[in-house]
Amino acid sequence: MTLNDTLLLSLRAVTSYRIRSLLIVLAMALGVAAVVMLTALGDGARRYVVNQFSSIGTNLIAVMPGRAETSGAFLGATMGRTPRDLTLKDAQLVGRLPQVKRYAPLNVGVAELSAANRLRDVTVLGSTADLIPIRHMNLARGSFLANDSEHSAQIVLGAKLAQEFFPTSSAIGQRIRLDENRFLVTGILALQGESMGFNTDEIVIIPIDYAQSLFNTTSLFRILIEARSHSEIQSAKIAIHDTLKQSHDGEEDVTIITQDAVLETFDRILHALTLAVAGIAAISLAVAGILIMNVMLVAISQRTPEIGLLKAIGANAADIRRLFFAEALWLSLAGTVIGFLLGQFGSLLLRLAYPQLPAWAPAWAIIAGIIVALITGILASLLPSSRAARLDPVKALGKK
Amino acid sequence: MIHLADITRIFQMGDQSVHALNKINLDIAAGEYVSIMGPSGSGKSTLLNIIGLLDRPNKGCYELDGKNVTDLTETEQAQIRRDKIGFVFQSFHLVPRLTAAENIEMPLILGEIPPDERKSRVTEALQAFDLLSRAQHRPAELSGGQRQRVAIARATILRPKAILADEPTGNLDHSIGAEVMMLLETLCQAGTTLIVVTHDRELSARAKRHIGMRDGKIVTDTP
Amino acid sequence: MNTIDTLQFASRALTAHRLRTFLTASGIAIGIAAVILLTSIGEGIQRFVVSEFTQFGTNIINVTPGKINTHGGSLGAIGSARLLTIEDAMALKHSRYVQYINASVMGNAEIRAQGRSRRVTVYGQSPDFPNVFNMSVSTGQFLPTDDLRNPRAYAVLGAKVRTELFGNTNPLGAILQVGESRFRVIGVMAAKGQVLGFDLDDTVYIPTTRALEVFNREGLMEINVAYRPEAPLQAVTDDLHRILVARHGREDFTLTPQQQMLSTLTTVLNVLKFAVAALGGISLLVGAVGMVTLMHIAVSERIAEIGLLTAMGATRTRIRILFLMESTVLATLGGLGGLIIGTSIAWLLKVFVSGLPVSTPWDYVLGALALSVLIGLAAGVLPAMRAANLDPVTALRTE
Repeated sequence: MTLNDTLLLSLRAVTSYRIRSLLIVLAMALGVAAVVMLTALGDGARRYVVNQFSSIGTNLIAVMPGRAETSGAFLGATMGRTPRDLTLKDAQLVGRLPQVKRYAPLNVGVAELSAANRLRDVTVLGSTADLIPIRHMNLARGSFLANDSEHSAQIVLGAKLAQEFFPTSSAIGQRIRLDENRFLVTGILALQGESMGFNTDEIVIIPIDYAQSLFNTTSLFRILIEARSHSEIQSAKIAIHDTLKQSHDGEEDVTIITQDAVLETFDRILHALTLAVAGIAAISLAVAGILIMNVMLVAISQRTPEIGLLKAIGANAADIRRLFFAEALWLSLAGTVIGFLLGQFGSLLLRLAYPQLPAWAPAWAIIAGIIVALITGILASLLPSSRAARLDPVKALGKK
Repeated sequence: MIHLADITRIFQMGDQSVHALNKINLDIAAGEYVSIMGPSGSGKSTLLNIIGLLDRPNKGCYELDGKNVTDLTETEQAQIRRDKIGFVFQSFHLVPRLTAAENIEMPLILGEIPPDERKSRVTEALQAFDLLSRAQHRPAELSGGQRQRVAIARATILRPKAILADEPTGNLDHSIGAEVMMLLETLCQAGTTLIVVTHDRELSARAKRHIGMRDGKIVTDTP
Repeated sequence: MNTIDTLQFASRALTAHRLRTFLTASGIAIGIAAVILLTSIGEGIQRFVVSEFTQFGTNIINVTPGKINTHGGSLGAIGSARLLTIEDAMALKHSRYVQYINASVMGNAEIRAQGRSRRVTVYGQSPDFPNVFNMSVSTGQFLPTDDLRNPRAYAVLGAKVRTELFGNTNPLGAILQVGESRFRVIGVMAAKGQVLGFDLDDTVYIPTTRALEVFNREGLMEINVAYRPEAPLQAVTDDLHRILVARHGREDFTLTPQQQMLSTLTTVLNVLKFAVAALGGISLLVGAVGMVTLMHIAVSERIAEIGLLTAMGATRTRIRILFLMESTVLATLGGLGGLIIGTSIAWLLKVFVSGLPVSTPWDYVLGALALSVLIGLAAGVLPAMRAANLDPVTALRTE
């Protein structure tokens, strides 16, 4: 039998059992659609997190006081206290390194903002002017520490704070108080929303020395550094380490983290998670395969006279095998295509419902899903089609 | 026992209405041996189905054992089918996965007869129809004659008032067919009404009353 | 036809085609097994995280400076002009609901002893610390109940620090240098292991006021309040609030009950568990479609038999019940099989893969079983109705 005839005959057989073929196609489609949609979800989550993390800076390196014996998180560093301070001088030393494009010392804390008869606790960032470009923040209006005015009591308000405290007038030029200290508003941040759990619309930025005096500390919370280029990040990290070790009398009491490394960790974890989810969804494809095998076995016992007849008129075992194999292939193909379309449609709905989540099924998942589905269908047909091929034509025709 | 008055059965074939039965009037007494003959399409099988309460007439009235059974509910009809009527088919219609004994037992199960009583009655039937040695065999392992005997045993185990046989020997060879007919006739002699639908003249001749049908009407009714 | 006979009839139909029945049941079994296995892992993780979280006790309220909390962390603890002081902690102890208080500061420092040095997290805690956090001492004692404002320079070692710096020798009485200050070791904590990634044994505990000196700080990071378990949470919170506002003049602090965090955590983990179960449910859905397909085929195959049953006097309802029972029995068998497979794999994982928390939630297991029964019913409905509505005349004409 020619390939063409095999395909046509098998297609006719499949379409003649309408309901059962439809149900098989449905089963397979569900499995493929699940794989497509779930990987879209997983990959969307991965890209969301990576995007969020990339948006907070470029070629970013963070130096924090304290170090753990074993790598990994340690509570001391997150709280940022050590006997020996990370100082402004340390920051300046680091800032002069050739691999460093920009640097910003950082102190954080909480203080009460009072202005225009309003009171509210706000998050305070103390730093230099470079903090704003390093952290990819934008000044919507005004400036911060421009023209070497490093020692005046300037403050930048987050967009929402400016709106909250000065809804009708411009915030710029207004005088406000942080706890008991007076500051002059010189800039307003552009509306940015929440990123990485940090909402920049409700923070204020003041010069680092004022922050240190406000919180009564001489120690820095972090030093943020922007390396000159991506390729220089590693050498920057080493240079920073050596500089600070020397500055701290040979003690290695700081931890240096690169944005790259963190990003990579997130990327890897979420990728693995997506893979696991896809794998679990793919189990359903195995179940669909069992269904195909089951139905084919039933079909063969029902169509025994037909098979006997085919053999009687000259079909050989290989022809019969190919015929049933083709039927399984048609069913798998239809299920795969419909499942793919369903999955893509579902991903589209996801993207519309959650625009921040770029839910696109990655190519590897789609290809893998299709291949697994097709292989399942093919494997499922092996037993039935060899059974059909081995039928004795005399017995087959004699059966009622 | 069976009283049909003006029974009409109409089938819709596409956009045409076909009168399978056209104003049939028929009375059959208890214990009668009747054969219904006619060419294909004459309505003989349809008549049998109506008598057996497998089908409802569009018009007319059917009284069975003095009771009007034309417009009974499905449940009531099922009960009558079970208790009063036994069917014997050309293709036996045995359940392939059940043994001979289990096939015979089926009406008893449907009739909610308690299990112990069932066992004794099935053994009785197996004995009466000479099937004891084949009791645990499945239909595939039985000869045609044995299969039909199982079917008759099943049809009669609840002691119906009437046996309706549609071409009972159609799938059997001549001598076996004769044996089967003798079986049915013995039952008839014991008081069961026997109605045989056939187009086999020789078969039909065995009956005591011959009804001929053509185009949905009874054209001859002779002893 | 009574129930037992109906059941028997249905079972015979299933055993007549054993391979087919087995394959169909497998579809359901795999789905149920997947659901059970995944929820077991989910439940295991939930229990693990919650127990890690609650091992220190649940009737705790944390007081932090400032009124801003970002995602569980307190920025005020890092930097604040408003201070929480030792005196604040002492005042809180006077509340009638409070059993113990702990004033807390932490940081990273290099400690030195016996010629060895190590960088560890150093905690400044109060003498009540072991009572607040259900921790116990393995050797010696914890910090004594000195005046909180002027405590003696004693230190208690974490289990790992003890082994790293002192090996097997008795550390009690030895001098420990923390940063620039010197302390005398008076105790070693019992090993606690890791909690959510943090090594609790690689630590040193010194009095809070001394820690403030070491880290050059004026304010506490946190005050932990352990209240009487039978006290209503709201009353406790109100009382603490009252005491502190009286001292500070305004509400420049945050009170966070541990219970609150726990319930948020539990909710999140419950959602996760459910999502994971749904993941397994995909396979179950496909298995259910398989069941519908097979029932549909069964009806097609047995049309003549259905006609026969009608001829013998079976009602439509009886026929419907027969087929429903077949599919239900089949699905239930598959469900039981899946249950056994799922729980077995979960148990094997628990035994052979250390570190993976697995716990089979019996409510989900029963739910899965009930689900498979329901699937059997649902899958059988349409085919059963089709069987019942067959015209016996046409059915009997089928060979």
